[in-house]
Amino acid sequence: MLGSFFGGVNPATHKENTRRKPLASLDLQPEQVVIPLMMSAVGSSQPMVRPGAQVAVGQPIAQGGGGYVHASVSGKVTAVEEWPHPWGNTGLSIVIRNDGQDTPWSDGPDPLKPDQITLEVLVDRVKRAGIVGMGGGAYPTDEKLRQAAGKVDTLIVNAAECEPYVTADHRLLLERSDRILRGAQLLARCVGAQRAVIVTEGDKLNAVEAVERRLRKRSGKVALRTVRTRYPLGAEKQIVQTVTGREVPPGGAPLDVKCLVLNVATVFAIQAALFQGEALTHRAVTVTGGAVARPRNLWVPIGTPLRCLLESAGGLREKPQLVLTGGPMMGTPLFDLDAPVVKNTNALICLAGYERRQEQPESVCIRCGKCVAACPMHLTPTFIARAVRQGDGRRLSKFHPQDCMECGCCSYICPARIPLLELVRQARTLLEEGGMEP
Amino acid sequence: MNSTRSFRLPPQVGQPSNTASMMADVMVALLPALAMAVFFFGFRVLVLTALSVGSSILFEYGYRRLTGQSDTVRDLSACVTGMLLAMSLPATAAYWVPILGSAFAIVVVKQFYGGLGKNFMNPALGGRMLLATFPMLMTTWTQPLDRVPLWGVDAVSAATPMSYLHAGTLPPQSLGQLMLGQQGGCMGEVSSFMLLLGGCYLILRRVISPRIPLAYLGTVALIALLFPGEGTDPFLWMAAQLLGGGLLLGAFFLATDPTTSPVTPRGQILFGVCCGLLTMLLRYHSSYPEGVGWAILTMNCCVWLLDRAGMPRRFGAGHFSVLRYWIDRIRRSLAKIKFIKPQIHFSLRRDGKMPGEAHLDQIRTQAKTLASLGGVILATVLVIFGVHRFTDLDTARAETQAQQKLLSQVMPQAAFSSEIPALTAGALSIQAGYSEDTELVGYCVEVQAQGFGGVITMEVGVDLDGKVTGVAVTDHKETVGTRAMQPQFLARYVGMSGTIRPTGGNSVDAVSGATATSNAITAGVNRALAIVANLDMEGEVEYVDGEDLEEP
Repeated sequence: MLGSFFGGVNPATHKENTRRKPLASLDLQPEQVVIPLMMSAVGSSQPMVRPGAQVAVGQPIAQGGGGYVHASVSGKVTAVEEWPHPWGNTGLSIVIRNDGQDTPWSDGPDPLKPDQITLEVLVDRVKRAGIVGMGGGAYPTDEKLRQAAGKVDTLIVNAAECEPYVTADHRLLLERSDRILRGAQLLARCVGAQRAVIVTEGDKLNAVEAVERRLRKRSGKVALRTVRTRYPLGAEKQIVQTVTGREVPPGGAPLDVKCLVLNVATVFAIQAALFQGEALTHRAVTVTGGAVARPRNLWVPIGTPLRCLLESAGGLREKPQLVLTGGPMMGTPLFDLDAPVVKNTNALICLAGYERRQEQPESVCIRCGKCVAACPMHLTPTFIARAVRQGDGRRLSKFHPQDCMECGCCSYICPARIPLLELVRQARTLLEEGGMEP
Repeated sequence: MNSTRSFRLPPQVGQPSNTASMMADVMVALLPALAMAVFFFGFRVLVLTALSVGSSILFEYGYRRLTGQSDTVRDLSACVTGMLLAMSLPATAAYWVPILGSAFAIVVVKQFYGGLGKNFMNPALGGRMLLATFPMLMTTWTQPLDRVPLWGVDAVSAATPMSYLHAGTLPPQSLGQLMLGQQGGCMGEVSSFMLLLGGCYLILRRVISPRIPLAYLGTVALIALLFPGEGTDPFLWMAAQLLGGGLLLGAFFLATDPTTSPVTPRGQILFGVCCGLLTMLLRYHSSYPEGVGWAILTMNCCVWLLDRAGMPRRFGAGHFSVLRYWIDRIRRSLAKIKFIKPQIHFSLRRDGKMPGEAHLDQIRTQAKTLASLGGVILATVLVIFGVHRFTDLDTARAETQAQQKLLSQVMPQAAFSSEIPALTAGALSIQAGYSEDTELVGYCVEVQAQGFGGVITMEVGVDLDGKVTGVAVTDHKETVGTRAMQPQFLARYVGMSGTIRPTGGNSVDAVSGATATSNAITAGVNRALAIVANLDMEGEVEYVDGEDLEEP
């Protein structure tokens, strides 16, 4: 507990199904890929190609508010149309019929040597490679790097995959540790950070060993920090607190305490863009859950329909009760398996009935205080819930519900099964509307 | 849907425990201690526990049913309350005791405040403390291994370790005996080892957090180490304080009751520390040997305060943000103080009323205020008067009884007495004693004489023949020589008359080792005889005041 963050919970990790499965390509190449124009948190892009155009792997096909979007397979654009989106609802997407050749784009940028890379080159390359935060935030990385340049002293590479079931980052760190270390060192130099810290959890022992072996060989600013497994270590503010002991001020970002947090997959994508000249076209996705026949980690082109992933994982063993993208704590429910993999999809989880929490009626709060002891943001969910239910907006503002980052620890731990997370969300909206409910 | 945060579900996995399973865990944790209690005190323990649990469930079900509320028996909290209540009873308790206790605990302490999660006092402890107000119920302990029969318990009072500690000495039991539970006490309190086992089980199962028990036990241990009993080994003293009495049961099972302990982690630590301080204060300075129950109940009432004091610091707001906030607030409110020239109007209000009406209104308001004030004062006076009246009656009755008792000692043949107004020098009071048919039989004279350590006040009965009928010492300050005041020595004066001398004829020998006291009593008797003789002119015996005897 010392030198780490306050609170947190220890959900059963369920990672044993996939943690030993190497990142593999799809068994069957998808017949077509669907690339949504909205894959970044800040907006959506405009298509640069028309139906009928021939595209190659890594060729930019859209740009604009959401940054560059690239073709992940080579083939022919068949349509630009509304298509189910994994974030919910539908979104305008470019549909590419796969020709199976994987022809690389001929006009792609050249690989760079480390001494050629400056901050401007870095930011430009990252922007052109269309890299966004791949841990879930989907915030444009070039913007983040530009803001952070010269203002940070610590670069944190987030390999703490604290969500249960997900092992994509674990396998990536284990199998590509050399390139990730190189990327981290370069990034630290470019943004002017004195050190780069790779944070991972103790249950990824083989990845820890792999990184340590490589760290022993090279002398650099990169360090490895292994932390006991606890959810939500992977959250930005908590990982900053764990590594540096600094607390991000309310409403602030890690930048305010001189830290830059990048997901390990993002770091890998950045170094691929610099040293190989590759755009962000592929990513690692874990396909798992009790309803999946052969859980595994896959290295898939972005835009692959999730149904193809499921087929490569042996299909369904039983009817899943819930399909999620992302982990079971903070993940998004998926309503249509035709939705594609997007840049921040790290897992596809099909939960069988026995894996979900049993539906039980809510009972009264017995004031056990477990939610308060579990909240990593130092909130008091039980008091917030009571104030919301009583409509007491004046008292609510004293409890700072706007600090909540929706990790769900309170709902997870509550023995009375009170929907604390929903109530805290309601409290936030109440406060944001600036009013008290009558 | 235009954002990643658009649609999220709450966590799809969750820890499996719920309220009922937490309560079941508490009961499992209590089982070892209960088994030890059965071993030490016999099967009566089981019957008492069953009665307590059964009646708790029944009262919970009955109350919820009668008031038309949902059925809450299934959350098992009533079972836990019943079990804890039984654990804190002595094994000799009568069978109606747990039923009364659980009725109070469930109905008054818990359900009147809205049931589980809303009561502010621990129900089991509330019930136990109600029972503790019946003095003979909760202070008779049996020795362990002295199995109590199922029927026909005779209340034998055995000393508990706490009574030894209260007296400032170490209990005779060894630490091992205290650990296993070979000590007198409540059923569930005796076996410290089993309670520790149960507490560890609860902590490992994450039913309770270790904050409250650790803070509680740590505070008690620290105070015991700092202030050990005189001439005892501090560590032994600390161990006895920790293992004796109801401390472990209280720290692991009663103080950690989720509903009546603070929610915030810091508040929980404060709660534990305050419980420990209060417990030791009560153990050292109250008239009861044990203070755990009262300490926890008192702190239960302060939970709201501790919750407020222990509010977690806002994430990212800095370690001293709360202090800074308060300093800021004080500074701002100090800056706000302005000195305003008072605006006093000497004219009457002019809001559409007749000139005199405002004045009348004012008088009416004042009259109302005065009337309500007078009402309050009247009520207070009545209450005080009533209380005085009843307590006065009680005092008078007690005095009469004492008087009667004294009379039977000094003048057995008199049935009642009344004070006669004649006051003679040397006598504090003179009572005339009458037989049942109101015939004067003698006088009781209250006299004082100088003893060894101070003034001895005594009552001497003298009959109409001038003979002593009895002597009783009512007040004295003697430190040595109290032997001379024992009844068999006082009885030697009966039948004497005339001036009694230390030696020779008509004498009462001084009690060896208590010569001064004996002489003082003799002098007092002499004085009383003299006074009666002077009252009663028919006496023919020569009297000399006792004080003169010591002169030569």
